[in-house]
Amino acid sequence: MKRKLIAAVGVAGMMAGVAACGNGGDDKGKTDAGGAKEITVWVMDGSAPKAWIDEVNKEFAAKHPGVTVKVEVQAWKGIQEKVTTALSENTPPDVLELGNTQTAGYAVTGGLADLTKDKGGLGADAWPKSMLESAEYEGKLYSAPWYAANRVVVYDKKAFEKAGVTPPKTRDEWIAGLDKLKAADPNTQPIYLPGQSWYVLAGLVWDEGGELAVKDGGKWKGGLGTPQAASAMEFYKKLQSYSTAPKDKDEASPQQSTDVVPKGGVASWIGLGWEAGGAEKALKDAGKEADFGYFPIPGKTADKPGTVFLGGSNLAVAERSKNKELAKEWLALATGKDQMTKYAAEVKGSLLPNQAAANFTPAPGSFAEAMGKAGVNGRITPVTPGWANVETEPNPLKEFMTKVLKGEDPAKAGAEADKEIANRINK
Amino acid sequence: MTVHSQGAATAPQDAPHEPGGPKAPQPPQRPAGVPEAAPAPRGRRAALPSGWLPYLLVAPAVLSMAVLLLYPLAKNVILSFQKVDKIEFIQRKAPFHGVENYTQLLGDAQFWTVVLRSFLFTAANVAVIMVVGSLIGLLLNRLGKWMRLVLSMALVMAWAMPIVASVTVFQWLFDEQFGVMNWLMRTLGFSGYEQHNWFESGLSTLVIITVLVVWGSVPFVALNMYAGLTTVGGELYEAARMDGANGWQTFWQVVFPNLKPFFLVTTFLEVIWVFKAFTQVYAMNRGGPDRASETLPVFAFVEGQSQGHYALAAAISVLTIVMLVVVMSFYFRLILKQEEEQ
Repeated sequence: MKRKLIAAVGVAGMMAGVAACGNGGDDKGKTDAGGAKEITVWVMDGSAPKAWIDEVNKEFAAKHPGVTVKVEVQAWKGIQEKVTTALSENTPPDVLELGNTQTAGYAVTGGLADLTKDKGGLGADAWPKSMLESAEYEGKLYSAPWYAANRVVVYDKKAFEKAGVTPPKTRDEWIAGLDKLKAADPNTQPIYLPGQSWYVLAGLVWDEGGELAVKDGGKWKGGLGTPQAASAMEFYKKLQSYSTAPKDKDEASPQQSTDVVPKGGVASWIGLGWEAGGAEKALKDAGKEADFGYFPIPGKTADKPGTVFLGGSNLAVAERSKNKELAKEWLALATGKDQMTKYAAEVKGSLLPNQAAANFTPAPGSFAEAMGKAGVNGRITPVTPGWANVETEPNPLKEFMTKVLKGEDPAKAGAEADKEIANRINK
Repeated sequence: MTVHSQGAATAPQDAPHEPGGPKAPQPPQRPAGVPEAAPAPRGRRAALPSGWLPYLLVAPAVLSMAVLLLYPLAKNVILSFQKVDKIEFIQRKAPFHGVENYTQLLGDAQFWTVVLRSFLFTAANVAVIMVVGSLIGLLLNRLGKWMRLVLSMALVMAWAMPIVASVTVFQWLFDEQFGVMNWLMRTLGFSGYEQHNWFESGLSTLVIITVLVVWGSVPFVALNMYAGLTTVGGELYEAARMDGANGWQTFWQVVFPNLKPFFLVTTFLEVIWVFKAFTQVYAMNRGGPDRASETLPVFAFVEGQSQGHYALAAAISVLTIVMLVVVMSFYFRLILKQEEEQ
């Protein structure tokens, strides 16, 4: 009996030992096994078409035989926590995609490699200022701009035709059109707009001349308790009143493009290119035909479209990457003019590449065309490391919107949100 | 949790049998007749294997406890006295911060709101779980063979359902646009359920979470209750009937005193379990709306993981443990008192 037990314990101990050896071996193999190197690239869901990234990796492999590139697709939900954890580890992804509103937040942590010296190799001169701004922090470059995109109104051509509505140029026309749509078919939502689509609200706030947050002395403070934010929210509330979408959800839960629009009964909605594509595919899977038209979010006057949030992504190299030079080379290749031209073509212009020379001329009537028109008036969120803290859930902007939509005074809800924003943005 | 407690409950009963069993060739150590001659606990203890074997036997358990519980706990306590936010976390620094995290928490009105909410949530849940669980346990005892089997199967299935999966089901049941509950309320003729948002307020969200938690916990109580009831001899019921006791009296005079240890253990297990329930609360609505359904573990997670205040979250969890220990001290006092009485 005892002998058996001793044997068992011995076996168990050996197993543990073997497991430990296995681990050590694995680690070594991954980081440095002489010749068989590997770099890991994190891209976000919907960012990198497979055909394009395969092409990039093929070209990279031709230059660096023996180096494999592992591409891992990440979901936006909860990405901040995931990236933070990854950057603290010994073997982070070598190259990673970061939202343009979040880049500064990571730059300040020291988790990203300083790319200032590589500016020449990356072709930084070609990048537009609005994109470069989000990639820098305190005069140093921490990432390469990759693409930008903004939201437009996606509409069902048939529903608009039936109600006799044409794409509006001003807010008044827009509302008048929504009234007509409502009258034409009471069972259809003239527009699907959940209560927490804060990127849409951001544009409306900027239209009013307001800001999400401003720097006051050395410190940032929120801008939601202002009259400008209140009137922006008033218009949002008006728009939202045409929708039966939940007031306490954002556009991703339920996913408007694949969970809501394909069910029918939605005449228009505000979305990004990949969302429009996703909705088309989901409709097709359901045996229906998508017939979408697109127009920029109307401005207050007809001479210029509404201001939109210029979302986008940057590609950064992790400071703890074991293959920093290779990572930088991959980065330069992917964001260089050649590959960016192919990229823009692959996404049919629905994402703007990081340089004008790579632009793709969109087809008339396409999402990309409407996006290009709207993007002229694009802006980004405050460039400060603390902004990323504001965006993490529970997001005070979203709570503000829900409160006002439920009838709370915008000034009061705004002041509460500003307090929380100030609390987070200065950290 | 539940599996653990059952193992712990059965172990002491099995243990005394083992030493008598093995016929190992060790005559000098075990003078024949001693175990039989002294059935008292003292005599049995003498028959237990001595030397290093007992230590070896408990070593794996102790070791895994130390590695998986003690070490993280110690780390957590240390972390709660440091300053670790996102920047420190990535740069792997951990400067000493004194009791700053604790003073910040104790002076924060939001923290106290969450504490109060956690206690009320736990009390409500445990009360409903114990009442419903006991009733179903009694029902199980009364049912015929087949119906009992069906009900037990249903209970086990509810118990076996993975938490996140059941939360997802509940989310869809109570969905604002496509939910079955809204449809049901409309069909039953209630007005105002066209697009009723069940997650509109923190209270409403917590009520739905309570339904989920109760649904998930009742099987444990009901099945244990049934198991306990089988140990109550039929002659006791008969005697009660002879004395003219009704059902209510039978329960309080016969069943309850007999099953008092069961009620005690189960109640306190449920207190621990509900108080630290994280998955149900977080997955349902991420502590929302506007942080109004956050209980202590969710509060710690939101502050720690989402907001990146790792050290502050550690302080929250240390305070949570302290609170649980205070609550559980009542239980330990009861247990100790019982031991003394025996």
